[in-house]
Amino acid sequence: MTAPAHSPPAPSAQENDAPLPVKRMVVNLGPSHPAMHGVTRAVVELEGETIRAMKLDIGFLHRGFEKSCETVTWGQCFPYTDRLNYVSSIMNNVGFALAVEKLCRLEVPERARYLRVVTSELHRICDHLTLVGAMAMELGAGTVFFFAIEGRDLIWDRLTELCGARLTSNYARIGGVSRDLPEGWADKTLRTLDRVAELCEEIHGLLTRNRIFLDRTRGTGRVPRQDAIELGFTGPCLRASGEAYDVRKAFPYLVYDRLDFDIPVGANGDNFDRYLMRMEEMRQSDRIVRQCFQQMQPGEIIVQDFRYALPPKPLVYGTIEGVMAHFKLVMEGIKVPAGEAYSYTEAANGELGFYLVSDGGGRPYKLGLRAPGWPMLAALPFMTKDALLADLIPTFDSINMIGGEVEQ
Amino acid sequence: MSKAVIAALLERFPDAVTDAYEGVGGDDCAFVAKERIVEVCRHLREVERFDLAPYITAVDYLGMEPRFEVVYNLVSIPRSARVRLRVKVPEGDGCSVPSVTGVWRGADWFERYCYDMYGIRFSGHPDLRRLFMYDEFVGHPLRKDYPLRGRQPLVPERQVDENLRGPGPATRD
Amino acid sequence: MAEDTKPQAAPPPRPAGPPPPKNPGLVTATIDGREVVAKPGTSVIEAARSLGITIPYYCYHKRLSVAANCRMCLVEMSNAPMGKLMPACQMPLAEGVVVKTDTPRVKDQQRATLEFLLLNHPVDCAICDQAGECKLQDYYQTYDAQPSRLDIPKVKKAKRVWLGPLVTLDQERCILCTRCVRFMREVAKEPQLGVAERGTDSFIETFPGQPLDSKYAGNVVDICPVGALTSTDFRFRGRVWFMSSARSICTGCSRGCNTFLDYLSDTSYRYRPRENDAVNQEWMCDDGRLSYKPLNRDRVLSARVGRSQGEKAGEVVPRQAAVARAAQLLSEQARAGRLALLLSPSVSLEDALVTLAVAREGLSLVEAYLGGRPDGWQDQFLKRADENPNRRGLELAAQGMGLTLRPFADLLEAVGAGEVRALWAVGTELPSEGEAVRLAGLTVVAQATNDGPLARAAEVLLPASPHAESDGTFVNFEGRAQRFEMAYFPRGDSRPHWSLAGELGRALGVSQLHASAREAFAALGPRLGAALGDFRWDSLPSVGKRPGLVPLAAGTVDGRLPGYRERVPSEGSEDQRRALARLPQGGRP
Repeated sequence: MTAPAHSPPAPSAQENDAPLPVKRMVVNLGPSHPAMHGVTRAVVELEGETIRAMKLDIGFLHRGFEKSCETVTWGQCFPYTDRLNYVSSIMNNVGFALAVEKLCRLEVPERARYLRVVTSELHRICDHLTLVGAMAMELGAGTVFFFAIEGRDLIWDRLTELCGARLTSNYARIGGVSRDLPEGWADKTLRTLDRVAELCEEIHGLLTRNRIFLDRTRGTGRVPRQDAIELGFTGPCLRASGEAYDVRKAFPYLVYDRLDFDIPVGANGDNFDRYLMRMEEMRQSDRIVRQCFQQMQPGEIIVQDFRYALPPKPLVYGTIEGVMAHFKLVMEGIKVPAGEAYSYTEAANGELGFYLVSDGGGRPYKLGLRAPGWPMLAALPFMTKDALLADLIPTFDSINMIGGEVEQ
Repeated sequence: MSKAVIAALLERFPDAVTDAYEGVGGDDCAFVAKERIVEVCRHLREVERFDLAPYITAVDYLGMEPRFEVVYNLVSIPRSARVRLRVKVPEGDGCSVPSVTGVWRGADWFERYCYDMYGIRFSGHPDLRRLFMYDEFVGHPLRKDYPLRGRQPLVPERQVDENLRGPGPATRD
Repeated sequence: MAEDTKPQAAPPPRPAGPPPPKNPGLVTATIDGREVVAKPGTSVIEAARSLGITIPYYCYHKRLSVAANCRMCLVEMSNAPMGKLMPACQMPLAEGVVVKTDTPRVKDQQRATLEFLLLNHPVDCAICDQAGECKLQDYYQTYDAQPSRLDIPKVKKAKRVWLGPLVTLDQERCILCTRCVRFMREVAKEPQLGVAERGTDSFIETFPGQPLDSKYAGNVVDICPVGALTSTDFRFRGRVWFMSSARSICTGCSRGCNTFLDYLSDTSYRYRPRENDAVNQEWMCDDGRLSYKPLNRDRVLSARVGRSQGEKAGEVVPRQAAVARAAQLLSEQARAGRLALLLSPSVSLEDALVTLAVAREGLSLVEAYLGGRPDGWQDQFLKRADENPNRRGLELAAQGMGLTLRPFADLLEAVGAGEVRALWAVGTELPSEGEAVRLAGLTVVAQATNDGPLARAAEVLLPASPHAESDGTFVNFEGRAQRFEMAYFPRGDSRPHWSLAGELGRALGVSQLHASAREAFAALGPRLGAALGDFRWDSLPSVGKRPGLVPLAAGTVDGRLPGYRERVPSEGSEDQRRALARLPQGGRP
């Protein structure tokens, strides 16, 4: 082959080592983007493949949750809370109900507390399955996604039998829960949990020692423990960074103080630890549900007080007291004593806080929400600084940003 | 445990921290003067080990004077203690609070949220802009005198810097 | 004995009398640990209310005599005989007495009283109009909240008794507080109601052959704490939970009783009296109560040009076109000196001021004629013979603007003499139907709220809004200026008279178009001088300030509706948007 007529001159030694001049490029990710969970816009400044700076632009899913809740009665807020963290909605319901009960100084019956714990943990498993599945899918492991979705669907089937809906459950009420367990539900759920455990084993086998998965997630998105605390991380992300803080153990609520479960704590605070955290927490949630079924006794599922709970329908149609209470509760709402309270639970993502201010009437005066995913999303620029663009994907997945709760 | 924290605060900052009370369900709360909040928060973080970035929110008490209140819900993980600080903020020119982002970086977005929704400015905040609402939004939605279904003026389309589209064929150098 | 030699002993000391009162001339006592000072004779209930402490009651009413038969207001008082609980409505406050209203004993008594009242109460909430403003519901939720312990059937009584033209009685719901009986006897001064039978079989009844036809019978519907006495007119028409209340003035006569106008979206449902000690205490007459109907019925909602001939009505045109035509007509007739202005004393002060200003500056008129409804009946209590709300207001406005007001008879004379060939009728109320015929031969530009003979005879008909659709002022027969507030935005293409006069004025070349009634009053009100005394236009508190907090039907806790909608119609609100969307095609706001 003859050399081309205008072949470039042979490079000198220094030229081979000189890096190519690069310009920083600003790339827009989202808001419509398959990897941006929900609708989030990230404006990323790239130098080659390295992220030098990132600015997040959120608010595309802001639906005015707090303002809407100020205009409806306390009981009508539950569907709004459903749609916050929509993959684990019962935990939102329970968090809100606990906050209102704190203000009203209500004692919830025992069985209702167990039911709340059982359903919350089932939804926690759903949330973690969604995260693991989505994370794997976005890294290329589509099969894992289908295993996770199968597990999630089986749990949703159980919850549909209980609450009536797969996603937006609206299960908790102020003073208890709305329905008792159907016949044989506990056994069906135990079998479902067995199947979910099998699926989790499969997922473990596919991911936990998978070369590609390890390369993508180990060492990426690392958050040291002190930084995690200062940035406000809670929940699995904080525990992955090494701080053993779980609201269920630190400030026990409902019946968590009677249950025996462990808190997994990570070592490195990277994406792989956060993934392992979710897998291990699913195992612990399984333990919790099994213990609850053993400990649960028959009883009331809602506080027996017509000032808070709707009377049973035979009383509504048959007695004047029942129908009056029903009318007042539905039209004017529960009269929560004036005051303010902050109530906190361990949601799937971290500490879910509700700050309530009541003016003594039937509607909230202020309903403030501490979304657990918020500090993690705000810390995303910190987590991805000087990381590769490809590392943004597993990082974004592992913090479990749910648009509904972050953007209210 | 939290009561001891409040008591220590009262002792250490007698003129800044006032009206400590026990709220519903055993919440330990106190009011803090607006100008000294950073000092109090730094003390709480460094001495009393309230390391976790707090949940900061605001309340609009329309009709009361001062109108707004910024509420800080702090938690100390090593001591399992919780404390609530309330800072009263008047409306108008004085509607600003020193920012605690110097104490916890995680307070950043919470303060931006209070600014976006209530119009409370945070002096010393590195990047105080709207969080949920678009920049041209008029008003502050969570204020009590903003209607639930408010109408906004139409805004002209924002001019997007060529930069954001990335270098394409037309501008490839 | 030693005692005999003692000096004369002083007479034994008299037993100590009561200590002097702490505040001389007044009574000082303690209620729930707080000190209260009141005039002698004040009942414990009123003294507690002055401290902000609510004691529940059914049969007590501050403007009626005390019956003390409901037993709901029983409280612990330190001067009670044998430690009994005493009715707070009846016991006057005694010097130094200690009253407790929140002890377990009092709470148990309240719960027990409610339980007894509810034993025979029918399960009617779903069909009872009082739901939402029912004292049984409110007190049950606050003081009882216990399920029923009744296991035998309830006593059955008559359910739908026609007592009179406006009042229907449900005997089962009645708790026999006798407020209605006392009201008819003491306030309406026509004792047409009484309690029949006794014990558990008691019920309220009229005397045989004598229905409840007093002109003030409608008030018993307001004061009945339960749904026993209901207004036949309002029955089953709507749930009060969904209604808002606008503070309004009755336009039935020149007393201007203060009312609440209950409305939903853009339909008015009823008047309820609003408290005003100086004008109507807390009462209204039945005719006034029903005077809200013209706000909904037979409304003129679009402008027409061309008088109606029999069945065929004039052509509907956009309001702007009608205004232009009307201005043309008016100016040519005024130039020819043949135009007369007919003002109805049902229009508000702002309407009158702007109309007279336009008449003087745009049409060079020097006088106006007074129309209005003919005189009606008058009594010693509330109703005045003059059935127009704002005659004094028009007189003051004409005085302030420098025009003379002439009676209607003068207009008829002028028409008969041929001096007047055209009429600008602002408000088409006429002293009698027959007069419309006499005026039918003229060229009429009419601004009408409701359909009528003069409206049909008009060459140009401009749709006007009644007082419910605008802010404004009426001046009653005593010269008292009273504000009313807008309930909903003007319906259809109609506008308040001050707005229509402003549009006409602009078409005539004088700039009078104000953006609101407040602006109109601010611009022209000073011409009235000191005639209105210390009246301030912003005298309705919270007008235009905090949207949404409008007082609703009695019993609502915080004044806001479930599902919270904008209540005070404000610029840019959902209410205005819907009102604009209702405009006929081709109409502009």
